[in-house]
Amino acid sequence: MSSTQILLIVFLPLLAAIIAGLGNRALGNTAAKSITTGALFASCLMSWPIFLGFLNGSLQETVVPVLKWVESGSLTFDWALRVDTLTAVMLVVITSVSALVHLYSWGYMDEDPDQPRFFAYLSLFTFAMLMLVTADNLVQMFFGWEGVGLASYLLIGFWFRKPSANKAAIKAFVVNRVGDLGFMLGIFGTYLVFQTTSIPDILKMAPGMSGSTIGFLGYRVATMDVLCILLFIGAMGKSAQLGLHTWLPDAMEGPTPVSALIHAATMVTAGVFMVCRLSPMFETAPVALSMVVFVGAATCFFAATIGTTQWDIKRVIAYSTCSQLGYMFFAAGVGAYGAAMFHLFTHAFFKALLFLGAGSVIHAMHHEQDMRYYGGLRKHIPLTFWAMLLGTLAITGLGVYHLKLGFAGFWSKDAIIEVAFARGTDLATFAFWMGVIAALLTSFYSWRLMFLTFWGKPRWIESEHIQHSVHKTPEQAGEDTTGGYHPHESPLPMLIPLGVLSVGAVLAGQVFAPQFLDSAAFWAGSIFYNENLIHRMHAVPYLVKYAAFIVMVLGFLGAWYAYIRNPSIPAKFVEQFRLVHQFVYNKWYFDELYNVLFVKPAFWLGRIFWVKGDKGLIDRFGPDGAAALVVQGAALAKKVQSGYLYSYALIMLLGLVAAITWVLV
Amino acid sequence: MIQTIAFYLFAVLMIASAVFVITARNPVHSVLWLILAFFNAAGLMVLVGAEFIAMLLVIVYVGAVAVLFLFVVMMLDIDFAELRAGFIKNFPLGIAIAMVLLAELVLGIGAYQAGALQLGTPDGLAAPMADRSNIESLGALMYGRYLILFEVAGMILLVAMVGAIVLTHRPPKSARASQNISRQVARRPEDAVVMKQPTVGQGVEL
Amino acid sequence: MDTATSFALIAPELLLAVSSLLLVLAAAWGGDKAARPVTILAVSALFGAGLLLWPVLHLGKVGPETWAFGDLLRADAFAGFAKALIYLAAIGCLVVTPSWFDRMKAMKPEYPVLVLLATLGMSLMVSASDLLTLYLGLELNSLAAYVLAAYLRNDSKSAEAGLKYFVLGALASGILLYGMSLLYGFTGTTSFAGIREALSGEMSNGMLFGVIFVLAGLAFKIAAVPFHMWTPDVYEGAPTPVTTFFATAPKVAAVALTARVALDAFGGQVDAWRQVVIFAALASIVVGALGAIGQNNLKRLLAYSSINNVGFILIGLAAASVAGASAMFVYLAIYVAMSLGSFVALMMLHDEDGRALETFDDIAGLSTKRPALAWCLLALMFSLAGIPPLLGFWGKFVVFQAAVEANLVALAAIGIAASVIGAFYYIKFIKVMFFDAASPATVADSTRAHWAVLGITTLIVSPLGYFLTRSFGDLGDKAASALFLLP
Repeated sequence: MSSTQILLIVFLPLLAAIIAGLGNRALGNTAAKSITTGALFASCLMSWPIFLGFLNGSLQETVVPVLKWVESGSLTFDWALRVDTLTAVMLVVITSVSALVHLYSWGYMDEDPDQPRFFAYLSLFTFAMLMLVTADNLVQMFFGWEGVGLASYLLIGFWFRKPSANKAAIKAFVVNRVGDLGFMLGIFGTYLVFQTTSIPDILKMAPGMSGSTIGFLGYRVATMDVLCILLFIGAMGKSAQLGLHTWLPDAMEGPTPVSALIHAATMVTAGVFMVCRLSPMFETAPVALSMVVFVGAATCFFAATIGTTQWDIKRVIAYSTCSQLGYMFFAAGVGAYGAAMFHLFTHAFFKALLFLGAGSVIHAMHHEQDMRYYGGLRKHIPLTFWAMLLGTLAITGLGVYHLKLGFAGFWSKDAIIEVAFARGTDLATFAFWMGVIAALLTSFYSWRLMFLTFWGKPRWIESEHIQHSVHKTPEQAGEDTTGGYHPHESPLPMLIPLGVLSVGAVLAGQVFAPQFLDSAAFWAGSIFYNENLIHRMHAVPYLVKYAAFIVMVLGFLGAWYAYIRNPSIPAKFVEQFRLVHQFVYNKWYFDELYNVLFVKPAFWLGRIFWVKGDKGLIDRFGPDGAAALVVQGAALAKKVQSGYLYSYALIMLLGLVAAITWVLV
Repeated sequence: MIQTIAFYLFAVLMIASAVFVITARNPVHSVLWLILAFFNAAGLMVLVGAEFIAMLLVIVYVGAVAVLFLFVVMMLDIDFAELRAGFIKNFPLGIAIAMVLLAELVLGIGAYQAGALQLGTPDGLAAPMADRSNIESLGALMYGRYLILFEVAGMILLVAMVGAIVLTHRPPKSARASQNISRQVARRPEDAVVMKQPTVGQGVEL
Repeated sequence: MDTATSFALIAPELLLAVSSLLLVLAAAWGGDKAARPVTILAVSALFGAGLLLWPVLHLGKVGPETWAFGDLLRADAFAGFAKALIYLAAIGCLVVTPSWFDRMKAMKPEYPVLVLLATLGMSLMVSASDLLTLYLGLELNSLAAYVLAAYLRNDSKSAEAGLKYFVLGALASGILLYGMSLLYGFTGTTSFAGIREALSGEMSNGMLFGVIFVLAGLAFKIAAVPFHMWTPDVYEGAPTPVTTFFATAPKVAAVALTARVALDAFGGQVDAWRQVVIFAALASIVVGALGAIGQNNLKRLLAYSSINNVGFILIGLAAASVAGASAMFVYLAIYVAMSLGSFVALMMLHDEDGRALETFDDIAGLSTKRPALAWCLLALMFSLAGIPPLLGFWGKFVVFQAAVEANLVALAAIGIAASVIGAFYYIKFIKVMFFDAASPATVADSTRAHWAVLGITTLIVSPLGYFLTRSFGDLGDKAASALFLLP
């Protein structure tokens, strides 16, 4: 692991983004795509050896200094790339998924007129994400943090001619600002307390600070709790946790590869990464940890419930992402940072797979995203179907404890549920139950998605997109519910990433579980590792170990019964529990609540400032007033210039008298 | 003693005639009052020993300028009543300004107490002339020290002459030559024609 | 100092005087046919006079060696600088004149002669170091100017302009003479050096009155508020070449004369007149800017613009320092170029029949009809507004810098704020030319002489003009030093 290698991994995507972004149309589609994709694959190929090196213990943590950045009094920080086990895990996740998404986009974005821009954004995002995970100090982490926010904004709004995409982009940006404020305050506070922004230094000093108090909003509170809660608010924003989650489903307005890369595999996990990176600090803050557990568990359950009711295929997966992030957080909160990172790692593979698979379905179905208009696609796009099936098995966590055999999700998710049980505190137990229920719901909505999409009769003709494609109305189509439309399998550039990710979704858990979960040596101090807790995790009762499996099967059966065996059930259910369904279907009314609580008052306040303050005060006495004064002055000057000699002479004499009087007095 | 009496006589007469120049209704009378003012000024000049200036005043101002004024006033048919209307309108303000200026001059310079006046020369008179007459010393200055300025004054007169010719000399011209086609083309009906709806017994006001 | 040396010192004036006398004869004999040759000869005479200035300018002469006729005239570096500007401006005005008057068949050989005589008067003004020289030079210039203003005697506007200029000019002359007689009475001398000495002690009220009256008389010539009232009417009414002349050469002469009187003769009593000058400067800037806003006639608008610019020049005078004087001269030089250029551009705006296009409505959409002309005007207007990187910005900059150095921070601040108002109508030019729908008026082609003068002035105000700043600044410093009698 040479420093050149690390520099190349991080800066190749930036270079590619600059070339593709500035070259844009002049460069041409193929050149821009080749450069960015090539750069990403190069990064990826250089990342894996580093990860494997950490895996077999042959590599030590390294810091590569890049540039001096700020040196002002006691405030000093530099650009430096820090690579340790935690970073190495993130490196492979980011570069692999990003490289595959770049490749996938060759097919998915093939007809788009702005391809160089799209690829430049993707590469720029990758660079920012890499800066985030290699950060050696909080400020550089914040740089990456904002960089990914920017790239996310640009990519959500990539189709900027679509009003809904613009709105979604702005929403994502604004909601993230709330979290960023917390993060910033956290950084300021950390600097205030520790007099440094260097992460290793802070982590070294953190245990010594536990128990100290600090004045905050007029109260004396535990220093570390305040700092960690503030930092966690940042993480909540970026990782779409309950309260600050509203932007994530809307972010699906972006192209599907973007959803896969940014809003499933990498950016949204930045919050988890940050909590893990600062885990020694969080361990000194019990209140903050409780909050992490609670928020994570609540999100995990809440998002899963919504997932069961949505019709948009991408939204289902988006809520699923939200829910899975909840798992990661409460895992971190109960002290199993390794399990959190492990779930992050496996989730990246199967969630990217699911999104890219969904993208493939959407691609096949002429950009129709509503699952009500799918059905029976299994035979038409078999490769996509198999990939999605593997992804679904991975996310639902199919695996048998006694055989020591299972898909990726089985290893990571079950470990989280077990560790929550093993922790034993009230809150951890609550998290355990939430996790189990969420696992049930996960299984249900995942299979619901599969059944609606791939099984049953085609219902395509109801879709407006398909109608446009075949130029028929449902009446004209008559009995033929396909409307004569033939979905086509996606091109090779889209299928290769699906294949690679399928392998990851199947094997990632099986292969890497021992290191991620049980090896303190593997983590080598890059996260807080609670040896005792892991032992207790392995010792939980069998019922707990099988709990996830059981609910998974139950969820599968429920979905099968409701959507294959007796498709009238969902309608009846909705009829019966109208209120509950409405509540969940409308996403627990969070958007409406925020609208009333924040958006409307903000508009109201803004309008007051605008009308009374800006127009009434500043404009009136500032620019507008001055302009009016000038106009009046001009009119006066014109009036005085009457054209009569005697008035001219009079003014001259007046001036003379005035001058004399002035100097005399 | 006799000098003092003569000074006050000339001074009072001059100021009075200057006032009449402004207030006289008949412009010819104004010019006549002006001539009287010039005469009195000449008298004042004689009193301070500047007899050459006094003669200049009589010959140039009375003999030439004022008579020229008289000709102009009599030959040009100027409606002074109309001119005066504008004058009357601004009269109060004009008077007020004049009063302020006068007050400042009188009070500022301290003319009301002649003793305190600090002029450039000890007695307020021009530099003493050694054994020369008024004309001689003036001539010596004009053709000696100020020769160049004397020549410049000649140039000014040349300009006045050239200017007068330029502005008044009209070479014979045919009527066609003064036709301005552009102006004719640019003329619009709205500039030339006014539509009126006359009512019986009212007449039209243009 | 003997008379021969004195004559050698006023060689440029002598050349102008002799050639104008000869040209009067040529005009009298040659008739209207001689108009062009006489114009060319007049330009040559001005050029020759300019060449004679070289030694003075180059050596930066100052002190008694430059005093002619017993200190009636001073041919020092200051006078040299001003004269060079005046001659250049006069040449520029003469070059563009014939083709303009030819459009109405009004070109006469007396015109260049009058310009030459006016220029002679200005030469005397800027060299004057005695009240008598000052007055005679001023009158020589003014009298020629009155005639020039009324030059198109059949045009009622031109005649009105001449008459107004004459009457108000006579009033101003009266004020000036009254001031001069007060000064003579209370100081016993007419020479600047003598007045300076007499004013150096306690100043009596009489002297103060004299100072203010003289400055008021001069303010009329430079058209500073409140003695500016004639400017819009005269500039609008006078034929455009005459307006061009008024806005350039006499302005330089009057400003230089005012600087000499204020800083030399009254230099010992700066505090007595500084506040009056500051008031005039600010009032000029504000009135010049406000008055222009309501105008539709471009000549009238540029008249206000010249008032506005005089305000900035007076800021340099108010500083009453070497730097301030130098800044004044630099500003003056740039102003002459900008002013000459914009009026020449106005002259070029006429339709096929020779009708002048001089309102905003006429130049609407000029950029589509005559792009080169429109772009030149754009540069000139941005420069007048003082927008970097055009040269007009530098002029304003040095003036404000001098004011700040002289602890007149408030003056500089107000001046900068007021210049924003002025920017409004300069930019309106650009808006109308480039963004408004084209007017139906066609714009005829221009002659080469017009293009040459416009091109040169545009080049000077363009960012390329910054190459001139060193020599401008150097000459300005020399002239300013001469004014303060510094070697």
